Amino acid sequence: MNSDSSICETAAGALYSNIINLDKVKAAHKPLAQEQLTCEADGNTAAAYACLQMWRCILFAGFPITPSTKWLETVATMVASGKCGTKKVKLLEAEHAVADYLAGAAAACRDLICATATSSVGLDHMTECTRSLGASGLGNVLLINVFRATANYPLCIEGDPSDTLAHRDDGWIQICCRGVQQIYDTILQAPCLGMHPEILTPVMPGYYGIKDSHRSSRLVVEPDAKVHAFQDRWIGPAKLPGLINGDTAMGNCVTSKFFQGFKIDQKRRMERTFELLPQIGADFEKTFGRSGLQFVERLYWPEDDVVDLAIVGMGPDIGTAASLIEKEESRRGLKIGVLGARLLTPFPRDEYSKRLKNAKAVLIVNQAHHYGAGHLTLDVTEACYTLKRRPTIVSCFAGMGGATLSDETWQKMMDHACATIGKEVKRIPPVIVHEGEVLWQS
Amino acid sequence: MAKLIDIIQRESCFQPGSSLCMGCMEAIAFQNIGKLTDNGKKTIFTLGTFCGEVSTLQFPNPVAWGRGEKTPQDWTKSFGIIHHVFESAPTVAEGARDMADLLTETGAMTDSPQVVALSGDGGALAIGLRSLLHTVHRGVRIVIFVLVNDIFANTGFQYSPITPLGADTSTTPVTEMTLGNVTPPLDYLGLMIQAGAGLVAQVSPAYPKYFFRVVEQALACPETSVVFVPSPCITGWKYSDGETIRLAQLGCETGFFPCFMKEKGKKGEIKFLEPDIAKRPLIEEFMGPQRRFHHLVHKDPKTGLFQVRPGKEVMVQKIRDWIQERFMTLSRLASDSL
Repeated sequence: MNSDSSICETAAGALYSNIINLDKVKAAHKPLAQEQLTCEADGNTAAAYACLQMWRCILFAGFPITPSTKWLETVATMVASGKCGTKKVKLLEAEHAVADYLAGAAAACRDLICATATSSVGLDHMTECTRSLGASGLGNVLLINVFRATANYPLCIEGDPSDTLAHRDDGWIQICCRGVQQIYDTILQAPCLGMHPEILTPVMPGYYGIKDSHRSSRLVVEPDAKVHAFQDRWIGPAKLPGLINGDTAMGNCVTSKFFQGFKIDQKRRMERTFELLPQIGADFEKTFGRSGLQFVERLYWPEDDVVDLAIVGMGPDIGTAASLIEKEESRRGLKIGVLGARLLTPFPRDEYSKRLKNAKAVLIVNQAHHYGAGHLTLDVTEACYTLKRRPTIVSCFAGMGGATLSDETWQKMMDHACATIGKEVKRIPPVIVHEGEVLWQS
Repeated sequence: MAKLIDIIQRESCFQPGSSLCMGCMEAIAFQNIGKLTDNGKKTIFTLGTFCGEVSTLQFPNPVAWGRGEKTPQDWTKSFGIIHHVFESAPTVAEGARDMADLLTETGAMTDSPQVVALSGDGGALAIGLRSLLHTVHRGVRIVIFVLVNDIFANTGFQYSPITPLGADTSTTPVTEMTLGNVTPPLDYLGLMIQAGAGLVAQVSPAYPKYFFRVVEQALACPETSVVFVPSPCITGWKYSDGETIRLAQLGCETGFFPCFMKEKGKKGEIKFLEPDIAKRPLIEEFMGPQRRFHHLVHKDPKTGLFQVRPGKEVMVQKIRDWIQERFMTLSRLASDSL
């Protein structure tokens, strides 16, 4: 502490704590909901409402790209109406510029959330910056990624997580959501994780384009005051200086001598997610009465983790699978469980090991194109590697480019996986399944 | 405008400790910008990737930036600096500017900082032209300095879109078949005026009084100011130690880099460049000391004067024509109250 009590010396330079009065920012917020409301909303609108309700989220930046554009339109409309208090929407000339802008704004004041939404090649266009931001320690950057197949050959606007999975190593906490309510709830919790002083890592919640971004369903909107009380329990005044309230330098050059230490610190912060995410999720559930953040969603799963066949997938289609299981269990005479991936990065391998330790076979459904066994398959397989009795890993691709996963497709994939149970199998080549047919086999 | 003597005595935020080349004009510019921004306002700097970044912002010794060795007790003397990516210093500055303005609007902050972006010409006018152009177009209240050394110096002196005609760079080499760069440089001053900048200037610290006046005016401008600072590069231009200031002056006086300033809605001015070509120093005097033009101009051993090499008259005439053409364009822009 300096002789002036408002000046704190930190590892990142001096922090002048009396320069920004955050109470004034909070006071300038106008609530979207005075009390709990129920409405019909699509995923993009739910995501926009969550952002608009956070008093810390005063700066929104964007560039339109299908299927995320409605987030930007909703935020712009609400802010222009003056109903949300002092907030600003910045329309930039490209996604790269959006990410640049967020970097400057978030670095200027670490206490406030800077948000955007994008998708597919939009996220790709940001890549140079997302990698810098991922390492920056700016946990107050919130990037909502609406999953869409990446690459424009061929251009496809429907939901496919190949964009978010292509950015797994950018250094962001990535969380997959399923359904309108979960989108809303996840975005309210995301900054609690990213801005935690032990994590300081930007967060990228995501949901499936079209299937979740454009489909409407019932949404419970919580009162702003309750949202604020919840977030304020987790987000305190930043302990590191920003460009405005600090004497600090960010984004320096380093030699190899320091580079590795920098990366170790980045990794250490990221891994704190494993301890803090369940705590934030439990607090959310206690506060709002709905499930909070989890490593995986146990959609149809026994308490004792004993299953013959485990199915692992993500997004809205894994919900379809869960609805079929009761019938499939009785038809096949097997115990079947369904897990939906929530935390994608850092990948919670211990949680998967714990859940899958008794499974005889694990069917992993990948919805993003991959030249190997599938992104999700690789991570789950690694999680199972240390198990005493490793389950057979069965990797399927289905629903790529947002294609429908019919009941027949699920049944075919289960047939494929069940056929391995009780047999000595070394490796099952991945298959692509659609409308109950195997389209391709390695 | 503050008195010159007062500005000189201010504390610069650019301190000894950089690894810029000896004789680099960027160091001189930073030293002066550092003093000019010590004006009672907190300063935020955003840096693109360029010599001026990699040579000054090294961890764990960011000693080249900041005011004094101890933490300033006065917040306005504290210093915030960020390097993000190569091409985006203007947009990063825009983000910081908007955040500061929002905090002021909510009443969360009373004294708003000044925000300054620094880039090299390669970073600003090649890979970063989108960022520069659109930030200027949006009219955000920041000052953008572009340090113009005609090349991508940081990566080894490659061609940039404002490399002069005939210049030998590591990617436009001079061979028996080639004469260096053959692409006319981008008209960056005209581009910035057309984009709607509040103030556009080209000014060298080799003219300190004018440099101080222009930069002070840029810092006070309510819209985006873009200040191009011609920066002779001792290593990339390949000239002898001690020539930096003289080359900066010759660059202006021969018309390679005319000092210029124009505020939006007012007439502009061209400074230190004679309208009459006959009264200007010969361009050979500017080109001769630089080995990047050695294939075009050499020193006559008898007279000691720089002169065009036999057979290279056409290329040198093209350079003269380009200089005059640009002078005419700038004159038109300066006489207009756009």
